[in-house]
Amino acid sequence: MAEHKTPALAVDGLSAGYDGPDVLHGISLTVPKGQIVTVVGPNGHGKSTLLRTISGLTRLRQGRILAEGREIQKLRPHQVAAAGIAHVPQGDLLFPEMTVYENLLMGAYTTPVAETVEKRLDFVYGLLPRLKERHGQIASSLSGGERRMVGIGRGLMAGGDVMMIDEPSLGLAPLVIEQIYEVIGQLRAEGRTILLVEENPARVAHLSDVMHLLDDGRIVWSGAPQDLLEREELLSTYLGG
Amino acid sequence: MSDTSSRLPVSAGRSALRGDLAIGVVFLVCAIAAPFVIESKYLIGQLIVGLFWAGIAVQWNLLFGYAGIFSLAQMAVFAVGGYGTAMLATYLGFNIWLAIFCGAVLATLFSMLVGLACLRLQGVYVALLTFAISSVVYLLIVTDTACFQMIGTTCRQFTGGASGFSRFGDFGMRQLLRGDWVRGNYGIVLAGFLLTLISSWVIIHSPMGLAFKALRDNQSYAIARGINRFHTQLLVFGISAFFTGLTGGLYAAHFQAIGPSVFSMSTLLFIMAIAVVGGTGTFWGPVLGTIVLMVADELMRDAGQFRTLGLGLLIAVFVVLLPRGIVGRLSDFLTTIRARRAAPQQGD
Amino acid sequence: MDVTIAILVTGLTNGALYALATLGLSLVWGSMGMLNMAHGSMLALGGYMVFTVAVSLGLPVWAGFIGAAAAGAVFGGLLYLGVVRPLLKAGGPGFETSVMIATVGIAIGLENALLLVYGGRPLPQPFAVPGSVQLGAGVMPWLNAVIVIVAFVVMAVMGYLIAKTKMGRAIRATAQNRDAALLMGVPVERTYLQVLGLAGALAGICGVLLSSITQLSPTLGADPMLKAFIMCVVAGLGNLPGAVIAAFGLALIEAAVQFALGARWGFPVLLMLVIAILIWRPNGLFGRAQIRRM
Repeated sequence: MAEHKTPALAVDGLSAGYDGPDVLHGISLTVPKGQIVTVVGPNGHGKSTLLRTISGLTRLRQGRILAEGREIQKLRPHQVAAAGIAHVPQGDLLFPEMTVYENLLMGAYTTPVAETVEKRLDFVYGLLPRLKERHGQIASSLSGGERRMVGIGRGLMAGGDVMMIDEPSLGLAPLVIEQIYEVIGQLRAEGRTILLVEENPARVAHLSDVMHLLDDGRIVWSGAPQDLLEREELLSTYLGG
Repeated sequence: MSDTSSRLPVSAGRSALRGDLAIGVVFLVCAIAAPFVIESKYLIGQLIVGLFWAGIAVQWNLLFGYAGIFSLAQMAVFAVGGYGTAMLATYLGFNIWLAIFCGAVLATLFSMLVGLACLRLQGVYVALLTFAISSVVYLLIVTDTACFQMIGTTCRQFTGGASGFSRFGDFGMRQLLRGDWVRGNYGIVLAGFLLTLISSWVIIHSPMGLAFKALRDNQSYAIARGINRFHTQLLVFGISAFFTGLTGGLYAAHFQAIGPSVFSMSTLLFIMAIAVVGGTGTFWGPVLGTIVLMVADELMRDAGQFRTLGLGLLIAVFVVLLPRGIVGRLSDFLTTIRARRAAPQQGD
Repeated sequence: MDVTIAILVTGLTNGALYALATLGLSLVWGSMGMLNMAHGSMLALGGYMVFTVAVSLGLPVWAGFIGAAAAGAVFGGLLYLGVVRPLLKAGGPGFETSVMIATVGIAIGLENALLLVYGGRPLPQPFAVPGSVQLGAGVMPWLNAVIVIVAFVVMAVMGYLIAKTKMGRAIRATAQNRDAALLMGVPVERTYLQVLGLAGALAGICGVLLSSITQLSPTLGADPMLKAFIMCVVAGLGNLPGAVIAAFGLALIEAAVQFALGARWGFPVLLMLVIAILIWRPNGLFGRAQIRRM
């Protein structure tokens, strides 16, 4: 179990913001290998900013980010991706005029070996058969749920050590949300390492190993998912009930 | 300097007025003293040219710097003013002053037509269309070979063709002042420039100017707040064209000539350089830019053939390194100093 | 009937040239929202390079084509590193106009540099194809046929690069969603460099073809660039297939108008048409608001 001591991803004292004051204040958390760590909290309190900062899209002002123990906070976004951190951004950010197949290929941009890409494509098509059916379709013509699946599939194509998924349920119908979380459940069963962001803790409690509650740019509570769901006062204070 | 006034409270607006007034008085004193102090007729002639460039740049700055309309038809508008003056004086025997005024009106109409064609377009589409329109006007003039009038043995095309118009009248200073006619012309051109400058100050600080800036900075918000984009855009095309056309008329009357060379890309580039070097969207930018570039131009006269090359690179360097120009950088600098001075007082 | 043949020959030749010029402009606009006003001067650079390689150095003409493409690519790369990258870094909504002004400056600079190096008098162009073929009642010079063929080959290569290769996918991805491309690990700055290099190479080749039917002069690119702009606008900026269609369509119309009304009316009529199209569809015939297509 020695290798489990180095977490796949660790964030230490991270502060970040856009043009104005800091949005995140001294965030620290670790994502151990093979676990799903979830950050929950109300919208507009820095969950997406956290993922964007790890990816290098938003400038970090203080703190360290470690991938497999290696400092990556100074890397540019494309270098972070190459370092094995796959980011499935909020609102999908697909390439709208490309086909599903091309979108998936873009996910494997940093992978030079064609066979590896083929193998991952087979895996993604196996996990998300709908994408195989639609592989030649232009991304902008897909339904919301299908787009989300392309986003997750594209993230998987990177074959990274860690996958960061930003609110996969956003804007989807309840039935479709269930399908998406089923897919994430399968990934959990596969032993993938995931940093998940979600507004509603009840949706992801059964998937998560550890949960962090983010409020106003600070982590206000951390622990096992079941514990959070039992803490009525936390839920009503931070998540309105 | 003054361009920040709209965002500041009234007292700051007043201090901007005071600042502009102070600079204006200094400029006016220098400008009036110049013909009495300077002996060389060549230099006074260059000052007149400088006033023309500054006048065009001030109006282009109103269009681009304040209203955010990137028009490349500025020299075409100027040419319409000049050609209008020349043609009215040549063909219809208009008195030169009336011809200049009518030329400016023609330029306004022309520009509003251009504005109408650009009404629904954004950003670079406006630039391309205005660029194309002025190229077409230029091409139609230089390829005009059909004889309209025979003068002696040579034929004159209606548009003047490749050679343009000359000797259609002047300000009448030669009869009035004899050898000193250049100083007389200088006075007239200076008066025209002051009219241009003051009118643009008034526009920038009027509610209309605020509407221009609002459209430039955030179009959808401005429209949501009830600013009519079509009217505002047409208005700024028209106003800036009137004074640009007026400058064109004065140019034609001063040189007693106008030809298709005013359309040339390097002239347009010079105007853009003036605005960019001085600072687009700043009130004094075009004036300072003219001074800097005219002096640089005189110094580069020895370098002759490298002049245009240098000018081109100068523009690129300024856009990259000093995007707000000299005046913009100066005013940023002053703001930081004032903020630093103000900070301890607030602490008390 | 000979008029029809003449219109077709002129229209298709010009269409091929405009299409190449338009492609370079549209590629750059589509990927970084930049209108490259220096594109016309890069056409001239290509024309003069073939002169240097084939006449001054005495190498074969095909080497001149390579030299022109290489010179264009290098110039495009330098343009990116020296002007575009710092302006992109400064960011903000002013990029669109500031990059236009800066490239106008660069264009004037390059044209004058060519003037200083090669002198002002028109130079003969080494790339020439003699002879012509009788087509019914009309005549088609072989040169025109070669120009159209070369243009199509270049367009096919470009189409393959953009549609099928990893580099092309990265270019399109960056154009469609810059942030997402970064998250996929695409080094966006390198992609921009490639785009300006490709556009420069296209301009170089286009310049060689263009100067073979006109003459070498520093401003030889000004007129085709203006028309290429018009065609980009008609197609909707950044739409590559649309740009090619618009180039051929407008070139044929221009040729027809020139034969019917005289050479000087070709461009004015074209412009009227474009203004009418833009009033009807402000984002061009094939363009859509907000979405850049590649």
